[in-house]
Amino acid sequence: MRAVAFLALKDLRLLLRDRAAAFFTFVFPLAIALFFGYVFSGTSSEPLHVAAFVEQASPAASLLMKALDEDGGFKVTVIDSRDAGEQLVRRGDAVALLVVPSTYAEGLDGVFSGGGAKLGLVVDPSRRAEGAMLVGKIHEVAFRTVFAGIGDPVQFARVLDRMEESLKASDLSFTDRLAIRTALSRARTMSAKGADSSSTTKPQSIADWKPVTVEIAELSMRPGVPANTFAISFMQGIAWALFGAVLSFGSGIAEERQRGTLVRLLVSPMSPNQILMGKALACFVTCLMTEWMLICFGVFLFRVEVSSWPLMVAVTLVTAFGFSGIMMLLAAGFRTQGGAQGAGRAVLLVLAMIGGGTVPIVFMPPFLRIASNLSPFKWAVMAAEGATWRSWGMSEMLIPLAVLAAIGVFGLTVGTALVRRSI
Amino acid sequence: MAHGAPSHAMPSAIRIRDVYKSYGALQALGGVSLEIEQGEIFGLLGPNGAGKSTAIALCTGQIARDSGSIDIGDAGSPRAARARALIGLAPQQIALYDELTARENLIFLARVHGMPNPPHRADELLDMVGLLPRARDRVGTFSGGMQRRLNLAAALVHNPTAIFLDEPTAGVDPQSRTAILEVVMRLAAEGRTVIYTTHYMEEAQRICSRVAIMDRGRVLAIGTVPELVATHGGESVVTVDSVAGQHRVRTREPLREIERALAEGGATAVRIEQPDLEMVFLSLTGRRLRD
Repeated sequence: MRAVAFLALKDLRLLLRDRAAAFFTFVFPLAIALFFGYVFSGTSSEPLHVAAFVEQASPAASLLMKALDEDGGFKVTVIDSRDAGEQLVRRGDAVALLVVPSTYAEGLDGVFSGGGAKLGLVVDPSRRAEGAMLVGKIHEVAFRTVFAGIGDPVQFARVLDRMEESLKASDLSFTDRLAIRTALSRARTMSAKGADSSSTTKPQSIADWKPVTVEIAELSMRPGVPANTFAISFMQGIAWALFGAVLSFGSGIAEERQRGTLVRLLVSPMSPNQILMGKALACFVTCLMTEWMLICFGVFLFRVEVSSWPLMVAVTLVTAFGFSGIMMLLAAGFRTQGGAQGAGRAVLLVLAMIGGGTVPIVFMPPFLRIASNLSPFKWAVMAAEGATWRSWGMSEMLIPLAVLAAIGVFGLTVGTALVRRSI
Repeated sequence: MAHGAPSHAMPSAIRIRDVYKSYGALQALGGVSLEIEQGEIFGLLGPNGAGKSTAIALCTGQIARDSGSIDIGDAGSPRAARARALIGLAPQQIALYDELTARENLIFLARVHGMPNPPHRADELLDMVGLLPRARDRVGTFSGGMQRRLNLAAALVHNPTAIFLDEPTAGVDPQSRTAILEVVMRLAAEGRTVIYTTHYMEEAQRICSRVAIMDRGRVLAIGTVPELVATHGGESVVTVDSVAGQHRVRTREPLREIERALAEGGATAVRIEQPDLEMVFLSLTGRRLRD
């Protein structure tokens, strides 16, 4: 058994020394994951796309929408329901969903009297930085709209009414109340005469004062819906990682044969079965390494959420086993390195593509979705998605895991027998 | 290395008895029998297709025979685990990993063979073939001669007693050839058995204690080089140049012919062409070795 491990280690070392093979096994899948993740999330210097849901139409809400749209930093799409807005955020079509509650206009009336307007913001957790920028922008725009409202004598009169009501309810001394009431009365007179609103008394701590309160909520993981585009693209990346590993080791037997080292191994105390086990072990370890590299990148840098770590461990183990079987079938099919790599690339490429390696299966047309069942990559990607954004339990995971395990058993049994016959 | 007859006191290191092997309709070996003694350097000579590589593949357990028997020492069939530990093979093709260093190649093979302290063993062998200064260089950067030397070292990682060297000096520079031949003679001196195939007659004449001439899957003759030359080499050719012209004579007693020419007088130059292994080969197969 130690000899098998030494053979696998040697193969891993050879893989790392072969720059092209190492690139396609480790770097290419990551590049694919990042590429598709960014492509789908629409990260660019374009205005931030914000979905907005106005619970109850009002002049104040319209003013806010208009101001946001005219800001230049936003592209606002007003939608009919909160759910539709959240879907846009989940799909990466919008950075955030701005919820303008039905109390917004009323809240603005109490902006100087302890109440204040509130806005809701639902952001994509993977795009918090853009969310924070959005909050700043909303404050800026809201500030402008509030003071625009003060220029309107009718709205300003309502603001003053609310302030006087608050004053009545307060426990201030008689002299304080008198002084404030006098000031409010003067402001009402000035507003009625169209006087400059700059004379309005400003709160003492103006630096801390905000015209609206923005309540931020991160979009919650909903079973069956990816939290962000990277949750999809990193699972796609796993397909390409498996593709690279299978291709690298599938031609390994042919390579050993061509360079003559297979003869040396056959003359050694290792049995042919042990030699093939060494090859399969190297492929298995490489599959695991690349899968976990992508998962770690996704989780720690791109906020991909794993719904069940034990299931993810099971998925990666079974997937690596299944693709080791595919590697053995590839090794059995071709006697030359060129043949194994050429034909392997052609066949695996098609399988990876219809298996969700490029276009996610959820976006595929129905006929392609059916065809994808023939691709082992589909089951690997689906299982990985099951342990992440699909939030599957063990019962849902059984089918993809069983398919992958069956592929592994079939590939290793039949492939090993065929390779043994050829050596 | 002496070219004497095998000492029958020595035990047989390799016994091949009436072995047949066919690939489909093609008979690669047709009833080959050989008995090779311990400590011998045994030359297998023959043109391409003679069956040398098949014989080596059978003796090293790479393929199974159709009939007959092969025993490696007292360990039995070369496919048995015990026998495998005794067999070393340097294939004709350089069988090394170009991407690994010389040392890594040998360490890997030593580990596969379960040798204790593989790094130490690797350094020992690198020193033996004169490659220790290049131990940490990748094999892909080596010259053909250096790769051949490492190919030989790789066959020796597990201290085998029956060593099969298939054309170990093919296409190498004189320095590497000398180094390889020295190692081969040293192995024989240590009591190991070396089975050696080559296209270079002078090499076989220089180092082989016995030689088997093969052609079309059969062994045509076995013996020491002088025995084979005496039996199958044919006559020497004596050429005498004189004022009367050139005179060529085929004879088994060239010295007597020269004496006669000198006694007659008038000879200006005398040349003797003695039969060699090449002549033996030609007379046995009707072809030159490199045909």
